[in-house]
Amino acid sequence: MNRVELKLRSIEDTRIAAENLSAKLVDGDIVMLNGELGAGKTFFVKSICEFWGIKNAGSPSFSIVNQYSGRRKVYHFDFYRINKIEELFDIGIEEYFADKSAITFIEWADRFTQIIPNHHYRVDLSFINLSERKMVIEKRENK
Amino acid sequence: MVILGIETSCDETSVAVLLEEKVSVNLISSQYFHELYGGVVPELSSRAHLQTLIPLIKKALQKTSISINDVDIIAATAGPGLIGALLVGLNVAKGISYSSGKVFIPVNHIEGHIFSGFLMEEKPSFPFLCLVVSGGHTLLLLVEDELRIKRLGVTIDDSAGEAFDKTAKMLGLGYPGGPKIQYYAGMGNRTKINFPVARLNDKYNFSFSGLKTSVLRYLQKNYADSEIPKSDIADIAAAFQEAVIKALTANVRKALTDYKVESISMVGGVAANVSLREKMQSIANQHKIKLIIPANEYCGDNAAMIACRALQLYKRGIKYSLNYNAFPALSEKVFIH
Repeated sequence: MNRVELKLRSIEDTRIAAENLSAKLVDGDIVMLNGELGAGKTFFVKSICEFWGIKNAGSPSFSIVNQYSGRRKVYHFDFYRINKIEELFDIGIEEYFADKSAITFIEWADRFTQIIPNHHYRVDLSFINLSERKMVIEKRENK
Repeated sequence: MVILGIETSCDETSVAVLLEEKVSVNLISSQYFHELYGGVVPELSSRAHLQTLIPLIKKALQKTSISINDVDIIAATAGPGLIGALLVGLNVAKGISYSSGKVFIPVNHIEGHIFSGFLMEEKPSFPFLCLVVSGGHTLLLLVEDELRIKRLGVTIDDSAGEAFDKTAKMLGLGYPGGPKIQYYAGMGNRTKINFPVARLNDKYNFSFSGLKTSVLRYLQKNYADSEIPKSDIADIAAAFQEAVIKALTANVRKALTDYKVESISMVGGVAANVSLREKMQSIANQHKIKLIIPANEYCGDNAAMIACRALQLYKRGIKYSLNYNAFPALSEKVFIH
């Protein structure tokens, strides 16, 4: 899989997409998520985590980063409230990226794309109309 | 007994001194930054805590007219929070404790909030129901005594405070969202629009993500290519606030039928919302129990609640070693120990 485009019409569709991606991710992977408020970024991460036996995944908008463990160890970031890249360095983001025993999700990742390692997945969520969403998942690797 | 409290779990650096169970000072960095750094807005970072903490401790001691030698207990937040930020406060507390031989007590941030009602003249009586509503957390708890805290419900997605902030953002009202929504809601009609309140399988849990999406859908449907008139913003804000209050109070009502309590305490930043206070007060009145809401300075993140909680733990004879480590997340089952 290098690029897939999905139409999501229901919560069930999102769960199926989450199950598929959850099976592909391996420790050390980084997943960027982009899309406007309410596009479903947190819900998608939460759904993926459920397939790893993690039930307490929630929004990291305030906390900046949540940490979960189940069958996988997960760092769940949200750049929504971050204003400067220096804040991310101060939080020690490179140490999180360097932890090859965890999978890292980053909501609003496009606010600071320059900090994301080249090797990553990219998930874009957008509205097609009131009842349908589009999800594009891309795998990007070092060339 | 003199307690020095330190809080650095998220954005705010805070230092407080408790003298014989009374708050002598409760300094919070966002309010002191102007004085310390001439109006520089703090960044969210461990570095900001590092720069601010020692000056704040000095200021707190100076304002209380005591020296560090007069302090009996050094308390600091150990978690949950940003690990880098927590480590600054916790390690400063450990350092002072190690070099001075004073008692060190690490405090759970949420426990600090839960017992913040004890900073008031009128204190909660056990057992009490506690609603924690802030930017980072939304929990409903049954507090049987100082050491027995039962978690009844928690948000499964967004916190109540986050719902306020994100809805304010969608309405173009800016940050912080709580006061803005409250202001507009005051001018609106709360029954004109009906935003759904999530129904969940776990009876005491909360969910605010669906509400956020409902508001978004409403905006997409009605104002896709146009600006939202001021009067409509007021109605949307009022309907949204009503839905949040309904969701929070519904679980409080359920808990009051299931558990016999002496009082209710509502804590955290969202507890400042006037309509929510009124609704909670009327529920408390119906059940003929008292409602304790801490003063606004103890509702947001603050060190006075950390010092207050440390004193409770100390009185119960609980001891901690300097090996106690910071923790980023709340554990599944219990609070401290």
